[in-house]
Formats: sequence, C-alpha cells, structure tokens
Amino acid sequence: MNNAETALFKDKQLGFLIYLGVEAIMFMVLFITYFIYTPASSGPQPSDIFNWKTVVLASVFLLSSSGTIFMADRYLKKDNGKATIIWLLITLLLGLAFLGVEINEFASYIQAGYTTRTNVFMGAFYVLVGLHAAHVAFGCGWLTIILIHFKRKIPYTLFLEKQKIFSYYWHFVDLVWIVILVIVYIPYL
Amino acid sequence: MKKIRLLFPLLLLSGCSNITVLNPKSTTGKDQAFLIWLGFGIMFLVLAVVFFLLVKIIITYRYKKEREHDPTHYLNDKQKRHLQLAWTIIPIILLVILAIPALWISYHQSPVAEAESRHEGVHIHVSAKQFQWTFTYDTDKTEENLLILPEGESIILHLSTEDVIHSFWVPELAGKVDLIPNKPIVYEIKEPEKGVYKGKCAEYCGIQHANMTFTVKVVSKEEYENYINN
Amino acid sequence: MHIPLFGKTIFLTIDLVIAWSLLIILLSTAIIYVVRKHKYPVIWEYIRTTNHRKIGTLYMIFGFLFFLRAGLDALLIRMQLALPNNNFMVYQLEKYNETFTSHGTMMIFFAAMPLLLGLMNIAVPLQIGARDLAFPFLNALSLWLFVAGGVMFGSAFFLDSSPAVGWTGYAPYSTVQYTPGAATNFYVFGIQIAGFGTLLTALNMIVTIIRNRAPGMKLMRMPLFPWAALITSFLILIAFTVLAIALYLLMFDRLFGTTFFSGEDGDPVYWQHLFWFFGHPEVYILALPAFGLFSDIISTFSRKKVFGYPAMVVSLLMIGVLGFMVWVHHMFTVGLGPIINTFFAVTTMVIAIPTGLKVFNWLFTMRGGKIVFTVPMLFAIGFIPSFVMGGVTGVMLSLTAADFQFHDTHFVVAHFHYVILASTILGIFAGLYYWYPKITGFKLNETLGKWHFWLFLAGYHMTFLPMHITGLQGMPRRVYTYGSDEGITALNFTSTVGAFLMGISIIVFIINIVRTTRHAQPAGNDPWNGRTLEWSVASPSPEDSFTPMPLVERTDAYWYAKKHNENMKVAENPRHAPIAKDTLLPFLMALAIFVTGFGLIYQSYWIAAISGATIFVLFIVRSFNDERESVYGRGDVK
Repeated sequence: MNNAETALFKDKQLGFLIYLGVEAIMFMVLFITYFIYTPASSGPQPSDIFNWKTVVLASVFLLSSSGTIFMADRYLKKDNGKATIIWLLITLLLGLAFLGVEINEFASYIQAGYTTRTNVFMGAFYVLVGLHAAHVAFGCGWLTIILIHFKRKIPYTLFLEKQKIFSYYWHFVDLVWIVILVIVYIPYL
Repeated sequence: MKKIRLLFPLLLLSGCSNITVLNPKSTTGKDQAFLIWLGFGIMFLVLAVVFFLLVKIIITYRYKKEREHDPTHYLNDKQKRHLQLAWTIIPIILLVILAIPALWISYHQSPVAEAESRHEGVHIHVSAKQFQWTFTYDTDKTEENLLILPEGESIILHLSTEDVIHSFWVPELAGKVDLIPNKPIVYEIKEPEKGVYKGKCAEYCGIQHANMTFTVKVVSKEEYENYINN
Repeated sequence: MHIPLFGKTIFLTIDLVIAWSLLIILLSTAIIYVVRKHKYPVIWEYIRTTNHRKIGTLYMIFGFLFFLRAGLDALLIRMQLALPNNNFMVYQLEKYNETFTSHGTMMIFFAAMPLLLGLMNIAVPLQIGARDLAFPFLNALSLWLFVAGGVMFGSAFFLDSSPAVGWTGYAPYSTVQYTPGAATNFYVFGIQIAGFGTLLTALNMIVTIIRNRAPGMKLMRMPLFPWAALITSFLILIAFTVLAIALYLLMFDRLFGTTFFSGEDGDPVYWQHLFWFFGHPEVYILALPAFGLFSDIISTFSRKKVFGYPAMVVSLLMIGVLGFMVWVHHMFTVGLGPIINTFFAVTTMVIAIPTGLKVFNWLFTMRGGKIVFTVPMLFAIGFIPSFVMGGVTGVMLSLTAADFQFHDTHFVVAHFHYVILASTILGIFAGLYYWYPKITGFKLNETLGKWHFWLFLAGYHMTFLPMHITGLQGMPRRVYTYGSDEGITALNFTSTVGAFLMGISIIVFIINIVRTTRHAQPAGNDPWNGRTLEWSVASPSPEDSFTPMPLVERTDAYWYAKKHNENMKVAENPRHAPIAKDTLLPFLMALAIFVTGFGLIYQSYWIAAISGATIFVLFIVRSFNDERESVYGRGDVK
C-alpha cells in the first residue's frame, strides 16, 4: 500500500472498529436484557428447550470459521490468490452451515409453539440470538460480494482493504457468539 | 444600589407566600419546602455572583475606539491556577453544605418497595387506574377519588396501579410517588394538618390525565375513625 | 369537518384541514418556484452531494423546517394554556397530548440534533484543517437517514395518527395494549431511523477529528468546538446505541408480542432505565457543542485566547463522563430505594462543578479583552446568565426530597427549557450568525440580528420564568387545562405572550435571511477578524479547501499569523484527502429505509420485505461503485 492508500485504509479501519464498538454496546444491552428476564415466571424455561447437540454443532461451525478466515488473511498477505479464495469459500460454507443449524433450532422452537409471544424469556432469546443470526446472514452475503470482487480483479490493495475489514466483522460476530454461549446457553444446559 | 436590585426577585418570591408547595400542611411537606428554600438560597447566591461579574466585565471591557491599541490584559499562569482552583473549591463547599441536609431528608423520605417497609402508622391502600383513584382503608372501606386522612398521624400509603404508570401527588402535603405496575410502593406522609386539598395524577397516563384528580380531606382522628367504620 | 370521498364521508378535524391546505399551498409554491427559475440543477447537485459544507447546509435547512413545525406546536400548546378552562380550537385531550409529544420529540431529535450536526459538519473540518469528513458517502447517508426519520415522524400528524405518548414514550402506556394502532409506531421508527443517521455521523466525526487534522494541529491545539464535537460524538455512540436497543425492544413489544415492558414478567421501569441512560447524556449531547461554540465565539469577540484552555477541555470530558452516571435522577419517584436515590443525587450535584468552572472561565475569557458586541457575541453573552439560571435549578432538582415536589411539574419544564434553549438554541443561532459567511459567502444583517436576539431573549425569559412558580403552585406538566381557582392564570398568560415574542423573533430571523440573500455584499474570507483556520479559506468554503495545506504551530495559529503579518506556513506532503464523489445512492438508501419503516408502521410486511431487500441491493450496488476503485492500485504514486 502506498501512503495515500495507507491513510485511507487507516481511516476505514478506525471507523469500522468504532462501529464494532457500537455493535458491542448493542449486544451488551441485549445480554443485560436476557439476563434480567431469564428465567421467566411461567412458560418454557431455558433448561427445557436448549439442546446441547445443536449448540455444540453451531459453535463448531462458527468458531472454526474464524480460523479459516484467518488462513485466508495469511495467504492473501503472501499474495496467494488461489489459496485465499479456497479458505474464503470454506469460511462461507461454515457460515452457511451455522445458519442452517440456527434456522433449524428456531424452527424446532416455533414448531413446539414457542414464539416471541410465549413468554419474556423466549422474547429475550429471540431478540438476542436472532439479531446475531442476522449478523451471520449479513456476513455471508458480504463474503459473497467479496468473492465476486476477487473475480472482478479490483486493485489488489483495495481487495486487501475490503478483506481485512470483513475479517474484523467476522471475528467480532464469532466473539459475540462466545458471549452468547457463556450467557445464554451454558448456564442452562 | 445595583446589589439591592439583584435581591429584588428574592423579595418578590418570598412575598409570594401563597405558593402551594412552599406552604406545606404536613411535616413531610415542610421538610421538602425547607430543602427547596435552602437550595434556592444557595443557588441564588451563585446566580448573583455570576450576574454581577458578567455585568461588570462587559461594561468594563467593552470595545472602545480609544482602547484599540491598549495591550490585552492577561493573567499569569499562577493567578489563573488560583482562580480556577477557587471556583472549583467554593462550589464544592457550597454543594457539601447543601448535600448534608438534602441527603439526610431524602434518605428518610425516599419511597421504598413494599417488602422493605417497616413503618408504623395509618395504612391506606391507594389503587389507580385510567383515570380514577380508589382508596381502601383498614376496615375494607373503599372510596373513589376521595381520600380521608386523620390529622397528626403517620400516613403509610401502599400504592399500586391496575394499568399504566400514574403518580400520586397532593402538592400541599408532600411530593410525588409513582405507581408502577406489578410493583407496590410504600410512601409515608407525616403529620398532615386539617384541611381540604386537591390531589392530582402527575405522571402522564393517557387522554384524561389532566382530569385524573381527587380530593383529600384531613380530619380529626375521631372523625376519621367514624368515617372508616361506616 | 366532514368530507365526502368515494361515497364515504371522512371526518377531519379543523387543524388537519388547515395543515393539509397549508402543505399543499407551500409545496405547490415551491414547485412553481423551482420550475419557473429552473432550479433543478441545484436540487440535483444537493441530492447527490457528499461535500461537508453542503451536507451541513442541508442539515440546517431541514432542521430549521422541523424547528418551525415544532415551534408551531409550542405556540398551539401555549394558546390552549393561555387561560384557565380554555377551549382553543381542538387542542384539548388527545390533540393536546399529540401536540406536546410532537413538540418534544421533534425539537430534540429533528430540530436541535440536526442543527447542531449541521454546524459540526460545516465548521469542524474547516477548523481542524480537514478537507472533508473522513467518510463523505457515509455522511450523505447520515443526512438522508435523518431526513427520512424526520419526514416519517412529521407525516404522522398529516395522516391523523400522531403519537401521544410523550417524547419519553413511557411504557406500559407506549405498548400496544394502551396505544394500539400506527401512531406510537411512528415514534418508534421515526426516532430509530434518524438515530442510526446520528450514530453514523458521530462515528464519522470521531474519525475525522482523530485522523484528518492539518499537520501540526495537535489535539491540544484544536479550537474548543471540535473538542466539544469529539466528546459529543463519543456520547452519541454510547447513548444513541442504548436508545436504538430500547426502541428495538419496544418495537418487538408492539409488533411481535413480546412483553419486555408490560404484563406479568415485564418491567416498565426497565424502559425508563434504558431511556434515561440515553436521555440524560442526550442533554449533554445538545449542550456540549454549544459550550464549545460559545468558547470560540467569546474568545474571538473578546480578541483574547480562551481562559484556561486545558481546564475547558478537561471539564468537557468530565461532564461527558459524569453524564452517564446521573440518569436515575429522572426516576427518583419510582421507588428504587433510598440508597440508589442518594447515590444519584450526589453524582448529579458533582456535574455542577465542571459546569461552573466553564462559566467562570468564559467570564474570565472576556475579562481583560476588548468585547465587540456583534450578534453572535450577543447570543453568547445572553447564554451565560440564562444557562446559569437553568443550571442552578438543576442543582435544586438533584435534592431528592425536593425533587419529589418538582418532579413532572412545570418547574421541570422551566428547568429543561432554560438549559436547552440557553445552550442549544442560542448556540445554534450564534453559530449560524457566526458561520453564515462560511456557508453562503454573506454576512447576516446585524441590526435585524440584534432585534432577533433581544426579542428572543425577552420572550424566552417571559415564557419560562413564570413556569417555575406555576410548577410550585401545583401545575403538573402535560396537562391541557387548569382551574381558575389555582392562582396561575396570570403566570400562564405571561408565558403565552412570551412564546409569541419568540415566534416573532423567528420571523425577524427569516426576514433577515431573505434580505441577506437578496441584497448583501460578499463578506470576504475573514469578516469577524477570526482566530481559527476556517477564516483562512474562502467564503463560502470551497470543495477543495486547504490547498495548500497550512502547517499549524500553535493554538489560534491563523490569528497569530495575522498579527505578525505573515502567511501561514505550508505543510509538505499532507495526507490524502477523503474521496468525495457525487452519488445518488445515499438518498436512495434512505428512501428504501423510509418505505421499509412505513411498511412496518402499518404492519404491511410485504412492503417492508420488498423495500428491505432493496436496501441490500443498494448495498451491493454501492460495493460495486466504490469511489476508492479510482484511487487505489497505483503502486507507489503519491
């Protein structure tokens, strides 16, 4: 990167990190909300509905995707386009697999009749975990666009920038999942 | 002369001795009125200093043609430091003077959740709904929009609401206390004096909020006993 | 009024008929004006602009329009309250509740906020030597999000579904059980959308101030307005984020049947915690920029540097930090217990200390100087005593037991109007008069400006001073009527007269702007004999400001250079400027979000889904039209 690109990249990096700070506050408030409202006085309790197999499966998919995007970063730095694209594709697949597990989990709750209306615990669960799932879905879309950019052969430095910003996002979404594990799932498994 | 004029609003306000909140008819209300006066007094002092300095400075240092080439007058760093320290420390002292009685009174007057209450006195249940007050006494006597209190007693109000948040307020007797759904609150009014007062809802609660009023009658203890037993 | 339409009769209240007629007349006049004078290029230019001055100007224009609307609401409120048992037009009961809700919400979110953000947009980059905000595209998006939110909230009245929950939206009254229908949804989505815009602006402002200062412009050499903008932006990031989640939860309560704030397990006090955790810092978000602005103005027109600059910065910081530790003083009466009440009473009092320090430092900035009574300076001088009057009642309100009496009465109404009008509104006017040359190239008329100032100041005190007493007399806020036996008739009537004086002063201001636009001579680069960098560039500020880039070697560097008859030194190799490229995308994105919001408000989810998908399509379009593609990939070229 030349001086101009470095300066512009640092702007974007700082801006995006601040944005992730905003997201962190958002999730923090939702964690507090979940903490306050769980368990509810009536209706389904977290220990009744959570299934440790789903949680482990989802975690394996999402957490390992943090590793794969890290590999993509490394190969990108070495200017190895082919390896980068492969690792990014694996990341995308893992993200989609996580989404699949999540959608399956939500569907099973809804089939059992547990919706946002059921009780305040279910409400707090959906607004938090649902928002996180939306972030993963958004990330999958974003990653797809990045792959297309790679095909379009945009300037290498610009691709590097886009890829880096995306990897911050992806790591952040992973981090939020870890906190979700600790606060939402593990105490009730 | 200027200083006397600065005092004018103070005289004006103390002349308005018929202001409701400043003429309370209960011990609780009197403590609150004392705090209001104390706060007002100290704050008026601050206000007077600022007004005086401002007027003096803008008169003395206004731009005039003949001052065009005067050197600008700067204070040195030591003077600056001392001055800034002064107007950091003096407010702290004033606030401490204000805080001690304020915190003492507030600590004892703050409404509490029902479970924590250990007060002895006349217990009355206040229940509100859009847009009506219901008062229930020990004898299960119930009345709407009319509250009868015995003079000179400690009145322990148990407040609850059936729908949205309301706020119980009788300006002559004491400050407000909110009625929160699913969370009964206890508030104490000490030693009310005889009289008829107007109570209001002070938390916006819907279309008829302004008309959600009630009447409070403070009567002698005998009359009160008669009332609740009939 | 009954209007036959397609065989049905529609009932419209008289205020709606008047408002619609006025709207149609105004819009058609505007359209005729645009068509006649061939103004399309200007509109096309401003819709697509990403330049900070132009975006700032748009913020000011839209903010001022919403200010007029909210001001009109205030006048209607005052008309209804002028006399006891009054029946002014339709403004009783629900209409009155709608009016005070619109007044509060619009003044805070759609007038005060954008007007301040507009001033920041215009002045901050020029004061720190940045050629634009760090992210011009994002800046345009923020603007149009604010406009979308404002227009959405504003349109609620015209659709006869104005929210009536108060600007605080207290649950459970704001939940679907007590206020069903679209009205309260307008409150939720209008603020949410505009709030996202505000968040993005704050982010943009922080990156700009941290990364885009001119060479040598160290943080401690910045003027105080950018300092205030920086700290305010951090407050926005925290406070508006919490508000966003509060509204998100309320949205789920209203649309998707959760029960966070009502019902058996719900907790209405949790809403109050979230709201005031936003709401109290919001007061400082409104006040701090004005503090910074007045510091610069007082220094300029006293021809003297700011007294105790480091202390001014530290006190800004302290107010910002303490602002997050006082929110419970809005909730003394909800029964949180004596210990919590006492703690928050103390933190509230502590805020008086840094604020007091600022007041005395302003006074001593003037002391020893040569005070020129220009219009911006008049506003600054009017600000000091007025603000202190609001400040001291603030300390009185922190005395918990006394607050039981003050709370939710007109005393509180008087208090917060004193604080916000003195700091924010006087600040906005001062800033507008001060920077008007940088925005348009012309100076506003000083005589009319003085009329504006004195009428406004007189009206302001006349309106709000009596409210202290009506509050103590037992008048709760948000009531549409009072009895003739309550002894507050004369005071209320005085308030009403005062409100109309303020209204007249605004008319004088509008006349001033129109006259200046028609008749004024160009003001030149430095009409006020200024001290800071913005006066070293042309008026109005050009899109490629700071070419060449000045080298800043001290505070008030421009003043120093002028005094020594030097030109400012030129910096070698300044960093690359942010890339600004005109684009329609931000406008389209905001439009899509606007439609999505409407879909959700009226719960027609297919509209929301389609326009929601459009937003993501626009994101993709944006990704393929990245202005950086034209700059990147040139190897080592500088």
